[in-house]
Amino acid sequence: MIVRTDDLHKAFNRHEALRGLSIAVEEGSAYALIGPNGAGKTTTLRVLMNILKPERGSATVLGVDSRRLTAAEFSQIGYVSENQELPARLTVRQYLEYLRPFYASWDRKLEDSILEELRLPPDIRIGNLSHGMRMKAALACALPLKPRLLVLDEPFSGLDALVRDEFMERLLQQAGEMTILISSHELAEIEHVATHVGFIDQGRLLFQDSMVELTGRVREVRVTLEGKVVPPAAVPDGWLQLAVAGNVLSFVDTRFSEERLSQSVATHFKGIRNVDVRPVALRSIFTTLARTTRDGEG
Amino acid sequence: MTHVPFGLVLRSGQSIFDQVVFAAQKAFLSGEYRPGQAFPSVRALAAGLKIHPNTAHKVVQHLIHERWLEVHPGVGTVVAAAPKARAGDRQRLLQQEVEQLVVEAKRVGLRLPEIIQAISNEWSKIDRAREVKEP
Repeated sequence: MIVRTDDLHKAFNRHEALRGLSIAVEEGSAYALIGPNGAGKTTTLRVLMNILKPERGSATVLGVDSRRLTAAEFSQIGYVSENQELPARLTVRQYLEYLRPFYASWDRKLEDSILEELRLPPDIRIGNLSHGMRMKAALACALPLKPRLLVLDEPFSGLDALVRDEFMERLLQQAGEMTILISSHELAEIEHVATHVGFIDQGRLLFQDSMVELTGRVREVRVTLEGKVVPPAAVPDGWLQLAVAGNVLSFVDTRFSEERLSQSVATHFKGIRNVDVRPVALRSIFTTLARTTRDGEG
Repeated sequence: MTHVPFGLVLRSGQSIFDQVVFAAQKAFLSGEYRPGQAFPSVRALAAGLKIHPNTAHKVVQHLIHERWLEVHPGVGTVVAAAPKARAGDRQRLLQQEVEQLVVEAKRVGLRLPEIIQAISNEWSKIDRAREVKEP
């Protein structure tokens, strides 16, 4: 794991921003940290970057405790945040010149092609750039160092669709060569780039999984019986939102496999007339899992 | 300009993986990719569709597992002859998917002949595409 947090706690005065957060990011993945506003996404990333210190629990980045990160690690990490401060009085070119010597891995050719692709005016002061341009400039400062880990905090909020596409396209070109940890409050924004997803709410992780596993393991199931449905006394693991209507039982199976489902249906019911299995849209998977884990049902 | 491997506009809300797998299967059935033809590399697929290379890799692995693609050492990944359907696939299509279509059709107020016409059009569209590519 290139990034891992265990039981992370962080409070601001009386407000507990992180309440036992545990996430694990595999090397080479693109991990999307999704959650509503105030869920603790920015705090998490700031703890990981050693901008904030956690009160309890641990966070490791590139195998090092976040509180002990040094230049050796930071030279392999790119960080782009929505509310990052860039030197307003420098031009993009001047700032890049300033950054270059800090990074042994800096790729000058890549820097040039990124500037061109993102259509960044190199001689305008950063303070005079629009929000979209500033975010593109921040990305242009992070990618040429060919980071092993790229941390992006809400990079798309406030960007128009066109700028977002440019940003995303550029990001994807290097996506295979690094690990990306990206936060967003909107699943639709990052689903192209993400290979893994962690959903957090109120400072806790509700679930994390790979995107492919996630869509593969959740199904909507309707079992039609000959007679009236008597719901099983012990609900099988992973069956959520059970509902009975006459001789039909419907539920969401969150640990679906064909074999497992037909086995559990056969052991729990007699006189099965039909079993209807349907995939569930990504968005519904999210709301289902988020709701049930929050209510402590799952 | 990157080349888009096959016609696909990714929609939000549905899994990217599922959408790409579906588009690939459609491309195989319509003869856009014929058996023996080289399938795009993971890198080309990712760049063309603007998706993460890991996701593209998973798609290719899945298509190999489902026997749509074959790995020829030294050559790369090539399209296989259409794999046999698994037991239950046909039945599922005839029952669930058709039921879903019928319910949805009735909901939006379509009539049976219109649905049959639409299915028949789509069917021959794929057949025609195939004929054009395999004279």
